[in-house]
Amino acid sequence: MAQQPLSSAAQPTDVYGGDEVSALVLDPGYCNTRAGWAGEDVPKSILPSFYGHSTATPTQNYFGDERLIPRADFEIRNYMNKDSVVEDWDVAPKIWEHMLINRLQPDKQTPPSKNGLNDDPKEKTQDGEGDVAMEETENQEIEKLLQENPLLVTEAPWNTPKAREKTTEVIMETWGCPAFWLSRTPVLSAFAAGKATALVIDVGGANTSVAAIHDGMVLKRSIQKSPIGGLWLSSQIRSLWETSEPKVTLTPTYMVENKTPVDALAPVQARLRHFPYQIHSSFRAYEEERVLTEFKESVVEVWNKPGRLNSPGNEEFAKTLPGRVFEMPDGWNQMWREQRFKLTEGLFDETAGYPLPEEERVGKNQTIPALIRAALEAVDVDLRGNLLANVVVTGSTTLINGFNDRLQNELAAMYPGMKIKIHAAGLTSERRFGAWIGGSILASLGTFHQMWISRKEYEENGPGIVEKRCK
Amino acid sequence: MSQSGATVSQECITAYNELKLNKKYKFIIFKLSDDYKEIVVEEASDSKDWEAFREKLINATSKSKSGAVGKGPRYAVYDFEYSLASGDGLRNKLTFLAWSPDDAGVQPKMIYASSKEALKRSLTGIATELQANDPDDIEYDSIIKTVSKGLAG
Repeated sequence: MAQQPLSSAAQPTDVYGGDEVSALVLDPGYCNTRAGWAGEDVPKSILPSFYGHSTATPTQNYFGDERLIPRADFEIRNYMNKDSVVEDWDVAPKIWEHMLINRLQPDKQTPPSKNGLNDDPKEKTQDGEGDVAMEETENQEIEKLLQENPLLVTEAPWNTPKAREKTTEVIMETWGCPAFWLSRTPVLSAFAAGKATALVIDVGGANTSVAAIHDGMVLKRSIQKSPIGGLWLSSQIRSLWETSEPKVTLTPTYMVENKTPVDALAPVQARLRHFPYQIHSSFRAYEEERVLTEFKESVVEVWNKPGRLNSPGNEEFAKTLPGRVFEMPDGWNQMWREQRFKLTEGLFDETAGYPLPEEERVGKNQTIPALIRAALEAVDVDLRGNLLANVVVTGSTTLINGFNDRLQNELAAMYPGMKIKIHAAGLTSERRFGAWIGGSILASLGTFHQMWISRKEYEENGPGIVEKRCK
Repeated sequence: MSQSGATVSQECITAYNELKLNKKYKFIIFKLSDDYKEIVVEEASDSKDWEAFREKLINATSKSKSGAVGKGPRYAVYDFEYSLASGDGLRNKLTFLAWSPDDAGVQPKMIYASSKEALKRSLTGIATELQANDPDDIEYDSIIKTVSKGLAG
């Protein structure tokens, strides 16, 4: 059972059992950002890294899925770039604060007189200065709210020194946390699988990465990444629907007012909603992504029988396998058969899959087998056997049915005679939040006290301390 | 230092030196103390029975933070002795084994994996290191093949 955080007044004086319950763990990704209390099994707060931005004056940002609804002059943006490195340093701390404070410590929320909810919106539009003043009081509150919580933040192994420095600055200067630590995601995933040496394959939303971990350290030269991930798979589905006969129209849920169930392939009978303002294309794309995610979860599979999908006879065989019906938000429904497998084929074989626009196409060096080969070629030959016997698979996209079997087949074909063993957590949550869970356990250990970079250490050494300590 | 901050108790080093220098033991099994702060010796033995050693690892347990007892990871040092297939006599190899069964809980697995470096660094003279995750990985025949690099007879 997840342990309830103790209030700061009741903090344990001993650390028996090693649970430091006041530490927080933040795991930012391109699609989602996860935050929660160290020691818990799953992150309590999971928010899209996409946020709403109102372009009307004064501009305003909206965080959290439930606030991303059709609005006028409203765009969907992301504070990260597609490499999972923070790009917008004005917004990132705000989203993180929203998660770490409002979502995780609601009992300590700012009093109603200051939280802005009771402010007259009219007053706000007229009085720009009043707005600034409000933000200042907010900032003071934040400082108070996080100054008792050590914070562990995860990062991609290719995170830039500049981004690390910025993260440090936000944690120590803006929030006034007492201590912090930065951990590389593949190391945490490997540890959570019980391995100090492993080849970590992380198929996430915006990226797929492969990294060799040896004795708990990322081997820098082994790091490989490519844009084939969940969003790339979305492009495959779009392409399938575009080229399908008849063409499938993707109408996101927010546009459908009501619908009447129809037979498979029958014309849609739905009334669409109309908005008196322009819906920004980024909002529509974000909403379309929800439908695509559902399609991935319920229909898409990976070909996991011997050989590849385009090996002789396999495609014919795939057509005889049971299909899955998918109903679109507007009621259009259709049975999908061999297409279900072809969608993911491009993860393994750049020549397979559906045609994509040039900028989204991947080359032959960017498929998962190619990334693995490149990662292994970059490490000492004596290590390769050990790594192949300890392959750790993580990331939400690996939850697609058949993925692990296929990976096993591909590796067996690439490295005949080698012992290949894939470790993939059975629990869905452990695969979706692998890095967060690892960070949660680490940060909750009593012994981890001596690892944290303390405020004192930071003040003596400056932000450069991160490069020295968090290797 | 390990990445978890766990430390190695002096008894680990003493026992290891007894094994290495005086051949007092055949194997040592190490575990993390119940508060996960320190690596301690669970058992040091001169028994040459591999199966008994293997059973001990397979049956090892760990307590999760909620108090439930489940399968547990361990560290071990085993002094392998084997004769070369070429007939060039006996060889000894001190082998470090990181045992982390796949069906153990995520918390003990995480703690053992992130603490391993601390122990391994304090034990000097280890010839081979192995990571094992299921009972098949610790069959004597497969292990001796790895340890001897296929040279055992």
